[in-house]
Amino acid sequence: MQPRGLTAALPETSARTVTHRRLVSGPNSSRRWVIGYLFILPTLVFVGVFSYYPAVKAMQGAFSNWNGFNPPVFVGLGNFVQMFQDPVFIASLWHVLIWTVVGIPLSLIPPFLVAEMIFHLGKARSQYVFRTMFIIPMVLPGFVGLLIWLFIYQPTGLLNQFLGAVGLGFLRHQWLADPHTALGALIGMGFPWIGAFQLLVLYAGLQAIPMEILDAAAVDGVGTWSRIRAIDIPMIRGQWKLLFILAIVSVPQNLIAPLILTDGGPGTATVTPVFYMYQTAIGYGLYGYGMAIAFLLFLAMMLLAIVNMKYIQSQPD
Amino acid sequence: MWLPAGLIVLAFISLYPIIYAVINSLKTEPQSTVNPFWFTNWPLQWSNFLIAFETIWHAFFTSAIITSVSVVGIIALASLSGYAFARIPFPAKNVLFMIIFGLLLVPGFLTLIPLFIEIKDFGLLDHDLGLILPYIAGGQAFAIFVFRSFFSGLPDEIFESAVMDGASDLTLYGRIVMPLSIPIMVTIAIINVVGIWGDYVLPSLVMNATGHRTLAVAIVSFEAPKFAPSLNVYNIELAAYLLASIPLLFLFSFLMKYFIQGMTSGSIKM
Repeated sequence: MQPRGLTAALPETSARTVTHRRLVSGPNSSRRWVIGYLFILPTLVFVGVFSYYPAVKAMQGAFSNWNGFNPPVFVGLGNFVQMFQDPVFIASLWHVLIWTVVGIPLSLIPPFLVAEMIFHLGKARSQYVFRTMFIIPMVLPGFVGLLIWLFIYQPTGLLNQFLGAVGLGFLRHQWLADPHTALGALIGMGFPWIGAFQLLVLYAGLQAIPMEILDAAAVDGVGTWSRIRAIDIPMIRGQWKLLFILAIVSVPQNLIAPLILTDGGPGTATVTPVFYMYQTAIGYGLYGYGMAIAFLLFLAMMLLAIVNMKYIQSQPD
Repeated sequence: MWLPAGLIVLAFISLYPIIYAVINSLKTEPQSTVNPFWFTNWPLQWSNFLIAFETIWHAFFTSAIITSVSVVGIIALASLSGYAFARIPFPAKNVLFMIIFGLLLVPGFLTLIPLFIEIKDFGLLDHDLGLILPYIAGGQAFAIFVFRSFFSGLPDEIFESAVMDGASDLTLYGRIVMPLSIPIMVTIAIINVVGIWGDYVLPSLVMNATGHRTLAVAIVSFEAPKFAPSLNVYNIELAAYLLASIPLLFLFSFLMKYFIQGMTSGSIKM
């Protein structure tokens, strides 16, 4: 794409004199760094006030006893000690572990397979059509997607009616009301798990693989599976890294699904640490305890992300 | 041949929740109980949409204002910063970039409660700004990361000739970078619109007053029995869900080309 704006801009800017250039701190000015700081200043103010300040408060709060009104009282590691004697918190750790271990592959593998399938369609036209079809579900706002799945899982909802219609009526179940299936139902939401964002990112990666490499592989008679393993997956390492890190930080954050669909129940079957943080702070007014839960989960996620970054980077590029 | 066939099946399953919502939003409740999979009898219940709209229109416009102001703010601030990080040399640049980039690793749940209390202390509860300001801050890290990588990839030659003619950084940003970056800006805008329009947790804390709610809060609490008892509550809810999806549908239909161009420009990776 050629910059049409550039040709339009040239005559006008060339009218500027040398003195004027110095005044506006143009790219050759010695005071150009001031412009640099001015450009990032609004961002710094916003993230300082609405991201870093609350983050610092969150870490302070984790070591205090606080009901949100009276001044916080420093309690050292008290909240953390209490946490590991709290059966609900222990249960929530198991839930988030299961959710992460199952959820991350679910968020990456189906989009990758579909990206490969679309990429290997012969015609550019059909690639475009399928890409579009898989992006359409993005028009459903996040909470709407959840509420529709709430309908699907209802005792008289779509899933049970479907099972009845295909002769599998004996499998009908109270998916969200049974402690044994509630967590699985939440994790399974979004079937067949073809995330539009992941799909597009991976598809873009495949498109960027140099044609010569794919041609050479075809000439050498490399089969589909070996090519995917030996060429496609390593060549889109940058995309994998990004999506993997995003999945690690987003999957354990799952708060809204238990909040809207199950309220953590039945019993504590779908309580996740983040949901429990919300419940203790907003529901019970235990702000300090809630923030301690959030802080611990944050540390665990950071550790996971760092280990993964290191591991992925240590591979030869 | 199995490739397109498999894709058609997968696409159908992915789209089915939407199809299901459309079908059942146009029926009465008894009709959906008999057969939720397809239309059973006519006429279609367009009145469901009318009732749904009457119930949520205020929240709909509240969300529209909050989302558009926030996204314009995110793009404006983040593109300026992205330009500075990509194109202007200044001291401590890498440190400052890491400070902003590090926010990608600060999850929303960590700051949720302190942020809620901060908004309360600012007196912004039940006020649109109570969401707009945090949303602008929250959108910076990812947008700057992508913009920086995209702006760095622009060929140096187009900058050099303009610089020789005495263009300032503001000119370079406005006349060269902006026109070349429309697809990536549209992409970042769409990602943020989708996130903010669909957000529930922060709005449920900040804008929970009856009468002035965001769409997500209004629709999630739609189930509550305060709604006039009617035979079709369930179908009207589905109609409300679809109404909530219309802005995103419009956005995608008009900007799909840019969105795919931006997503596939190769800037979104590590």
